[in-house]
Amino acid sequence: MRDRDLTSADVAEFASPRELMEAEWAPCRYHCPVHADVRGYIELAARGQFEAAANLVRDCLPFASVCGRICHHPCEANCRRCEVDQAVAVREVKRFVCELTGVRAAVHKADKQDLAKVAIVGAGPAGMAAALELARIGYRPTVFEKFPVAGGIPATAIPSYRLPRDVIRQDTDWIFAHGVDFVPNCDIGKDKTIADLEAEGFEAVLIATGLADSRMLPLPGADHKRVLPVLTFLTDVSFDRTPDVGANVLVIGGGNVAMDAARTARRLGAQVTAMCLENEEEMPAWDWERDEADEEGVTFLFRRGPVEVLLDGDKIVGMKTRKVTRVFDGEGKFSPEYDDNDLQNIPCDTVIMAIGQTANLNFIEGSDLTADDRGRLTYDSATHQTSLPEVFACGEIVTAPGSAVEACASGQRAAKAIDLYLSGRTIQIDDALPPTIDKIAPATAEKVLKVERYGVDTEQPEMRITTFDEIDHNYDPEIAVREARRCMSCGGGAEVLVDKCAACLTCLRVCPFDIPVVTDVARIESSLCQACGMCIADCPANAIIARSWSPEEDLRQVAAKINALTGERKIVAYVCGHHSPATAWGGTLEDTIPGVVEEYLPSMSRLSAAEILHTLEAGATGVIVVACNEGADRYPTAPLRAAKRVEQVRELLDEIGLGAERVQYVAVADRGRAATREAMAEAADRIEGKVQESVESE
Amino acid sequence: MIVAERKPMDEIFQMLAGCKKVLVLGCGGCVTVCLTGGERQAEMLASQLNLAAKAKGEAMQVDFDSITRQCEKEFFDNLSEAPADYDAVLSIACGAGVGYMSEQFPKVTVLPGMNTTHLAANVALGIWEEYCRGCGDCMLAWTGGVCPIAKCSKSLVNGTCGGTDKGKCEVNPEMNCGWLMIYERLKELDRLDEYRTMRPLRDHRTDRGNGVRRLVLAEMTEEEAGDE
Repeated sequence: MRDRDLTSADVAEFASPRELMEAEWAPCRYHCPVHADVRGYIELAARGQFEAAANLVRDCLPFASVCGRICHHPCEANCRRCEVDQAVAVREVKRFVCELTGVRAAVHKADKQDLAKVAIVGAGPAGMAAALELARIGYRPTVFEKFPVAGGIPATAIPSYRLPRDVIRQDTDWIFAHGVDFVPNCDIGKDKTIADLEAEGFEAVLIATGLADSRMLPLPGADHKRVLPVLTFLTDVSFDRTPDVGANVLVIGGGNVAMDAARTARRLGAQVTAMCLENEEEMPAWDWERDEADEEGVTFLFRRGPVEVLLDGDKIVGMKTRKVTRVFDGEGKFSPEYDDNDLQNIPCDTVIMAIGQTANLNFIEGSDLTADDRGRLTYDSATHQTSLPEVFACGEIVTAPGSAVEACASGQRAAKAIDLYLSGRTIQIDDALPPTIDKIAPATAEKVLKVERYGVDTEQPEMRITTFDEIDHNYDPEIAVREARRCMSCGGGAEVLVDKCAACLTCLRVCPFDIPVVTDVARIESSLCQACGMCIADCPANAIIARSWSPEEDLRQVAAKINALTGERKIVAYVCGHHSPATAWGGTLEDTIPGVVEEYLPSMSRLSAAEILHTLEAGATGVIVVACNEGADRYPTAPLRAAKRVEQVRELLDEIGLGAERVQYVAVADRGRAATREAMAEAADRIEGKVQESVESE
Repeated sequence: MIVAERKPMDEIFQMLAGCKKVLVLGCGGCVTVCLTGGERQAEMLASQLNLAAKAKGEAMQVDFDSITRQCEKEFFDNLSEAPADYDAVLSIACGAGVGYMSEQFPKVTVLPGMNTTHLAANVALGIWEEYCRGCGDCMLAWTGGVCPIAKCSKSLVNGTCGGTDKGKCEVNPEMNCGWLMIYERLKELDRLDEYRTMRPLRDHRTDRGNGVRRLVLAEMTEEEAGDE
């Protein structure tokens, strides 16, 4: 809830009430490392405005398409819908809008790109995110990459069945289009030094090389050529240098990268055992990744530690292992203990070491950069600066291992630091965030319409292991909008203007969720408000506004659409869009009714009697209110209230001799496009007196 | 609260005949609470008038505004536009608001958009029922909290009359007999003695029989009251 009362004077200062949403973030945005306006783009997707949605994603998230596939989606983990049924499938909706729009995503280049040249080492999510931000400000970034392609780990190590390569190119091509130069096949420290870059006129350098080396274990026999570092293995597969893995692969490690390796080895035709120190609950891989590996026939061996690679001549024949008695100490720190009496030999002919990644500091060669006594790059996390003030670092090389979106966030922050440095300002970055909204209260959650989350189709495991094709299919447009419409618009709801509120209790009485409390004035708790707009439409004092929409703005748009109609007939149909096809709300219908503007709203709960009158004032010859049937509307009582408001307006029109028939109510919006269209066409005829009003609608 | 309801449209049209520029003015007090005279209702009435004028081909501009209370002079300072710029102000406050505003703006035609009807309680969503008639001599102490002036159609102080019929009033068979309600209530309170006591005739000077009533709080007045 706001810590300060809102008045009409405050609102007069705002360009749009949407500014209020900046003061308090929905948890999806708050917990997103790049703070993408999740609620905003999901809402656009819900309306079928897919391209606008994709552009909004890309405002904050440079690796939008990549994250549509592989993001660990903290937005979903923190989605307030979890308290109702299941989280909104944010990642799937994002994937749908980003891949649909693809490379056609809008590119907003800086007006002038004449600021300093900045060299970025590493074309992974962190480096590319920084490059994009710098280019947007007007710098001239060049990204140097040791591999022939941009994208970092997503492009070189994440298997293509999880992340097809054209998806990565959508993001990297889009970033390059902002004026980011790319130098592939250039390994800094080897092909060129940081000193060379400075000599070439780069005024700042950003190290974003990530964790490029696989951790290995100093086991006897581990120097055998078929003990493969996991990144080498995955990268070779990525670049079609398919390694010979033999028939029996043992993957050491229980993380997500180990799962990628195990599942990749399965696709190369091997029998695969994944062995880790942890038990099933302790292992760090995501549950879904472990389950999918299991479905694909990976055998798991928990709580075993590797001891020695067993050789027969020059061939690997197995791995000697011992039992793990504990992985973590009492404080939860990694501190494994073993039972050396419980030994077991696991047969295998290839071993893949997937026990973690580590930084490669080769770029230090030929520079004055320093590393600390533990071999880590010297770095100040506040300023992103290394031991050289003009050399910065970001991403996994200086943070803990994380996901692509976290690397993007680190890159964006580093870009801010570089901008401050190059413009001669103190590097001071304000990381403070607006507060987020609390979890939804159980009493409110109970009243929210339950809608099962829409899953995506997944290929059958026996098909999956025969190919590197993607295994999760995309939504189709209709499912994408339906899933997006599960969003509860957290934080987009009602705000009371205390100077206008008369404490009349109407809001409290019409709210379907029993949210308002009236003490001195009405108080509407933002963490509970479901943004249905019922109270806003029915408040007699015009004392409640919405954060996420403005009836005045909506009306201006409707007025423009009315003006654009050329014939005699100028009818506006306000349609509940909760069940409407994507094309309808998205404005790309092919079966529009001549002379009828279809205006979609999430529910008729927000449409006031005054707006219906204003629509007629704006030049409409009639208004059709197309509601859902009770029970189908996302908000309880909405069709009932809408019908009552229509009845009121019909009486008001009768009083002034304009005829009640100008405003029609039909409850059909949940019955499909054909039925809705037919009902609207008939209502339009009733408005024009071509058809007598039925007794029922009187 | 004071309840008022909008006048019939024909009467409003008659009042506004010939006006080119009209302000519909809502009141943020009682009439907002009873959902008839708030800013939203002013907005909708303005909309109706604009639509009607357009349909008739008349050039009339109707604006709307609302202030916190029209029965307090300070709140008129909050008007967005000067009332004098309008041919008429159609006030949708109660009669007190209309009359007081008219007095405050002697050169402005202030017209009543409402009929002020009763003092009510909000008994259910959308229903405001009369509970008090402002008689100036409250009798609720001996009537079990049921007002004989408001609830009896004859405002008797010694009821019932002979016209009660199965609990309903002979004047309006839709209405419950007020005195029967008093009887039932006193019985429930075990205070039927009150019912049996004969009450003196009403003194109508406290009601409407002695001219304009005013409340004067000596402790708050700036000069000696009663000089007028």
